[in-house]
Amino acid sequence: MNKWFKHIGVAIALLFSVSVFAHDAPKVGDTNEVNGQIWAQLKAGEEGYTTSKSEFHGQAINTYDLRVLELRSDILAPALMAALFGMIIIFVLFIKVNGISKLHGGYSGKLVYRWSKFDVSIHWLGAIPCLLLILTGLTLLAGRFFFQPYIGEGVWAAMVNGAKQVHDIMAIPFMLGWALMVTLWAKNQMPKMYDLKWMMVVGGYINFGPFKGKHPDAGFANAGEKLWFWAFAAFGLLISASGMLLLFPNLFEPSRTLSLIALVLHSVSAIIITAFSIVHIFMATVMSEGGMECMVSGYCDETWASQHHNLWFDEIKANGTLKYKE
Amino acid sequence: MKLTRKSNAAPTVEKKTLGLSRRQFMKQAGITSGGIAAASFLGTGMMRRAEAKDIPHDAPTEIKRTVCSACAVGCGLYAEVQNGVWTGQEPAFDHPFNAGGHCAKGAALREHGHGEKRLKYPMKLVDGKWKKLSWEQAFNEVGDQMQTIRKESGPDSVYFMGSAKFSNEGCYMYRKFAAMWGTNNVDHSARICHSTTVAGVANTWGYGAQTNSFNDIQNANAIFFIGANPAEAHPVAMQHILIAKEKNNAKLIVVDPRFSRTAAHADLHCGLRPGTDIPFIYGMLWHIFENGWEDKTFIEQRVFEMDTIREEVKKFPPKEVENITGCTEEEVYQAAKLMADNRPGTVVWCMGGTQHHVGNANTRAYCILQLALGNMGVSGGGTNIFRGHDNVQGATDLGLLFDTLPGYYGLKTGSWKHWCNVWDLDYGWVKDRFDQNSYLGRIPMNTPGIPCSRWHDGVLETPEKLAQKDRVRMAFFWGQSVNTETRQRDVRDALDQMDTVVVVDPFPTMAGVMHRRKNGVYLLPAATQFETQGSVSNSGRSQQWREQVIQPLFESKTDLEIMYRLSQKLGFADEYTKRIAKDANDVLVIEDITREINRGMWTIGMSGQSPERLKLHTQNWGTFSNKTLEAAGGPAKGETYGLPWPCWGTPEQKHPGTQILYNTNKHVLEGGGNFRARYGVEYKGKNLLAEGSYSKGAEIQDGYPEFTADMLKQLGWWDDLTAAEKAEAEGKNWKTDISGGIQRVAMKHGCIPFGNAKARCIVWTFPDEVPVHREPLYTPRRDLVSKYPTYADMQVHRLPTLYKTIQDIDSAAKYPLGLTSGRLVEYEGGGEESRSNPWLAELQQEMFVEINPADAADRSIRDGDTVWLEGAEGGRIKIKAMVTPRVKPGVTWMPYHFAGEMHGESLAPNYPEGTVPYVIGESANTALTYGYDPVTQMQETKASLCQITKA
Amino acid sequence: MATMKFLCDTKRCIECNGCVTACKNENDSALEWGIQRRRVVTINDGVKGEASISVACMHCSDAPCMAVCPANCFYKTEDGIVLHDKDTCIGCGYCLYACPFGAPQFPKSGAFGARGKMDKCTFCAGGPEENFSDAERQKYGANRIAEGKLPMCAELCATKALLAGDAEVVSAIFRERVAYRGSNKNVWG
Repeated sequence: MNKWFKHIGVAIALLFSVSVFAHDAPKVGDTNEVNGQIWAQLKAGEEGYTTSKSEFHGQAINTYDLRVLELRSDILAPALMAALFGMIIIFVLFIKVNGISKLHGGYSGKLVYRWSKFDVSIHWLGAIPCLLLILTGLTLLAGRFFFQPYIGEGVWAAMVNGAKQVHDIMAIPFMLGWALMVTLWAKNQMPKMYDLKWMMVVGGYINFGPFKGKHPDAGFANAGEKLWFWAFAAFGLLISASGMLLLFPNLFEPSRTLSLIALVLHSVSAIIITAFSIVHIFMATVMSEGGMECMVSGYCDETWASQHHNLWFDEIKANGTLKYKE
Repeated sequence: MKLTRKSNAAPTVEKKTLGLSRRQFMKQAGITSGGIAAASFLGTGMMRRAEAKDIPHDAPTEIKRTVCSACAVGCGLYAEVQNGVWTGQEPAFDHPFNAGGHCAKGAALREHGHGEKRLKYPMKLVDGKWKKLSWEQAFNEVGDQMQTIRKESGPDSVYFMGSAKFSNEGCYMYRKFAAMWGTNNVDHSARICHSTTVAGVANTWGYGAQTNSFNDIQNANAIFFIGANPAEAHPVAMQHILIAKEKNNAKLIVVDPRFSRTAAHADLHCGLRPGTDIPFIYGMLWHIFENGWEDKTFIEQRVFEMDTIREEVKKFPPKEVENITGCTEEEVYQAAKLMADNRPGTVVWCMGGTQHHVGNANTRAYCILQLALGNMGVSGGGTNIFRGHDNVQGATDLGLLFDTLPGYYGLKTGSWKHWCNVWDLDYGWVKDRFDQNSYLGRIPMNTPGIPCSRWHDGVLETPEKLAQKDRVRMAFFWGQSVNTETRQRDVRDALDQMDTVVVVDPFPTMAGVMHRRKNGVYLLPAATQFETQGSVSNSGRSQQWREQVIQPLFESKTDLEIMYRLSQKLGFADEYTKRIAKDANDVLVIEDITREINRGMWTIGMSGQSPERLKLHTQNWGTFSNKTLEAAGGPAKGETYGLPWPCWGTPEQKHPGTQILYNTNKHVLEGGGNFRARYGVEYKGKNLLAEGSYSKGAEIQDGYPEFTADMLKQLGWWDDLTAAEKAEAEGKNWKTDISGGIQRVAMKHGCIPFGNAKARCIVWTFPDEVPVHREPLYTPRRDLVSKYPTYADMQVHRLPTLYKTIQDIDSAAKYPLGLTSGRLVEYEGGGEESRSNPWLAELQQEMFVEINPADAADRSIRDGDTVWLEGAEGGRIKIKAMVTPRVKPGVTWMPYHFAGEMHGESLAPNYPEGTVPYVIGESANTALTYGYDPVTQMQETKASLCQITKA
Repeated sequence: MATMKFLCDTKRCIECNGCVTACKNENDSALEWGIQRRRVVTINDGVKGEASISVACMHCSDAPCMAVCPANCFYKTEDGIVLHDKDTCIGCGYCLYACPFGAPQFPKSGAFGARGKMDKCTFCAGGPEENFSDAERQKYGANRIAEGKLPMCAELCATKALLAGDAEVVSAIFRERVAYRGSNKNVWG
């Protein structure tokens, strides 16, 4: 950690007259005091006059906590790798051990209306860019540590360049999808008391120990989905906001320190969203039989509905909004 | 524009290699070559680098030694040329002036080889459109127009504006051209630069030039800047100044209305009110006399009439000085004490001192300060007057001025006869070229012409009030930016009213584009100094021989060729070039011009600097010390770099040059001297000659007058002359004996040819015998006008000149802000060339005015706002505000390099296609006002008034 | 092995911008209007204590730009010079955020002002292309180091305020100056 400070220190020391050598010289009145003052001002990030019109050129030295850099390389980059590949491995192992959640009694063949076509499309509007953003973002944050050493320089250059382009472009549909999903779906995602119980038994997905055989109540969305939704809402906001700062610096003119903070927040959000995404994907596809159908056609199997979202199914049956696919 | 080779003569110099691979190079862990070695001034030998000049890889490279064309420091550099293209610029670490250092302008010099915005071919304005011409057409049309005007209005109606950018040979031939044409209406920017210095200083002790050298400042213990800002105007001079500060703990005192970049390095900054230099100096002298700090022996032996000054100074006690200058009593006291305690000290001044309507008196006041302190004629002392353009010293020396022939000979009949003798021409023929009548009691041939600062008054004034036959009807603007002249609105009117405007310049310049004409403008593309060769004098009077770097770009021609072709057209080429050989292409042999200069320039000892000697120095600049300027060995052993004049006698006499003027500690043959006996031997019964002081080795151990043939005879030294010398010398004096015999014999006896006199504190031929404080014409202190009024209106040479009439108008109420102007480091002069250099232009993209936060707040102006600045005569400019504490409340400052906009309107459409500089802006001089020095017609650009409002 | 460093002596710097145009001059082929690899910053402008300092890439020993670059396009030469590969650079701008000296700069490219390939001071050491090749000249400018010369900015410095070279030599020169300044007996003020 101190390494960074030390080396920057050397560079800065070489830059200015006073710091390193001041002690060599006997005190000679106010000249040295002025020197010391100048040095202190520069270190404090004093802005001055310059003829250069370039960004930030009025400031000779911008100081910030250099641990940011180590945080990125030593913690965030491996963490994102772990969030993606680690979660996949964990899930695969989990499924091996636990098995998936079968539909009791198999498919009923009756498909219950759950999502509108529009809902399905905004899901994918967010989801596909999200997947691409995860992969390209991973390349950008961790690629140099985990991929570059194993591929040729030309391939790497093409890869990281492509990643940057895709990441920049995909950000826009992602944010659109995020915004639509969050605003349109929030009303179904309000936490309820029964969600607590759902949480206590981990949704009933676990097939061993004390959790085995439990079937907690769930409304339109179960507690796990709600958690994912709100995490997605919050960290989606954070990742979008920080991403905007990084993508459109001319628009927002962030300071360099703010940009670095944005970079860290962006990565942290990405780690969380990635981890959740993996869980979400696994849950929707492999883990929960019949789950994927919802985001393909917008309809779910009746059995699936009553098994996983019993309260919602009861409710639509009761109020007559239940609609079957013709 | 692609860079293309223009010459077929392929350079074939074999490339030398460093003999080191990169790896080997890096392995010498402590690389101590080049700049890094030069950086260690405290060490001694450093110049391994030029030897190991390594060369780019592919094409053969030719290395040229050239000299920066920006300011007058004279920085040398190596230009690398490949296939006729200037491909590289390398620092000359072994150069004695700059040790490889350059400011922004010097470091961007190579751009001259691109010249993207240059004029490409001769052009003429026809019905508002620029039309291409052949050179032949151009010479014919311009020549015919000159002859027509000559017939109708006489030769004085053609005006010759010259340039401080010419080589010495160019300056000389331009002045000679005007003489052959028959007019004294020839001048250049020294008029608005250091003309008041030349007049004031020459009248104090003999020569109007920097007395020491840049390098000698290293020996100073105190450096007093007044109206000088070398950090921006002469950056490489700061190299020597900072060495003095570091090694001698020299005290830096900066007297400037503005907290300049130089002030940032000063021990004391005194922010005086613009135009109060004389009270400030008198305020210092008050303390000096009060405390007995003056050098009494020096004054007794070598100074005339210090007592008169003593009386004048009594009128300026500390309180009064504080009231006038705005500097506190303590500041003035400290300035005086620092100068008194740290001797020798040097005084440096520039435009802040000279560009005033009392400029000549300002410069005399500075000299008097140095005389009182006894700082003259010593190493580390002197008046180091920094000149502005690369060859403005040479242009001044060579008489590119309205009031003298080359060598400060003046315009008297005797002066003309001397030069006719040099030119080998019949005096009668030359005389006949002039207008033979007299006007307002003045004879044109012997009357100074119209000054550079006021050529427009020569166009606009009614002919009856002019001391010549008619108004100026045609003018050449040959390497001069007219936007450096005040009263731009009048300049524009004058351009409109002339019959013909001829611009000879690498760039269109303002004379070519700011008028509202549809016809009658010629643009003739001149080559830069990098496209020709010739000698150039730096501020310290040293000359260097600039090698030609590249062939003239596009269709441009060298100044000398244009002059010569025009003289052929006008029919006086034979007389004009009588003693100058032509080569196979009918081009003048430049060395012959240098030799003719040597043949005539006895007054200032520019006689010993033959082209061969100058080339030898330049080719061996590495053998001269950066500290002493002398060569410890090598082919020019014992000589001073560039043979600073006076380099007495003929080249064969091998005088080493005079680095420090008036230095009695040296023998005249080693560059010693004393004050010049220029004004007789006595005045009102008082002795003007030195008393008990003489230069080392002088056989006359007291003061003596200037040498004449008769004096040699009286001294019994006549027979030291050879028979040939005797024939030339008979009836002549040290200035007019073109054999050099009189000078040789005087020096043989250890005497200075110009005699040995005292420096004068009073100049009885000037409007003010002693420097007198006079409030600026446009002063914010109306309360001081009655006590310190300006002059009565007067006729100066050919032009009526207003003083009291202007000062009587109270402008201070409407225009409460003081206005002064100055330089930016990135630009030079009118800026046409430097604003066309993208590397420089990028750094200063907008014209601005510096205004104090307090004044800005009063006007709701924020930093970067667009404002209208209106000068006290109503000239309005639309510029940016820079709100900064650099200027005090009540004072504003503008750079003067901008042009290309006027009254908020762009002049870009007037430029020929592809020649608009990268940056254009309002000229400060549109807002600047009337005011001229009565002796030299210097313009007042440093003390005026304005009002600023948000646009 | 040399470790190349810049040092700017604020007591000598006069803000003449010679270093800035020297860089423009020498690296002209790789630069465009608006990209200044070096600039001079003046603090306390116009008041007592005014000081100027020339700033560019400082070729840090452990460079933050290297650490932060997603494309890992930076590398360090055996002389301790931090260079980068413009072919790999993706124009993300992170190095600009990370650099304490504001050295990296980006030409605008594309319709929305997207960043082009980063440009910064090369210590006049070119780039990863073959020495003196056209590609090197167009992308990175001069390669004075390969010619056995030091960076143009320091070489042309008017007052020798800006020093460049092996860290040991540079600091020795500076030490010498400080010693001289310190030995002054007469103190003003």
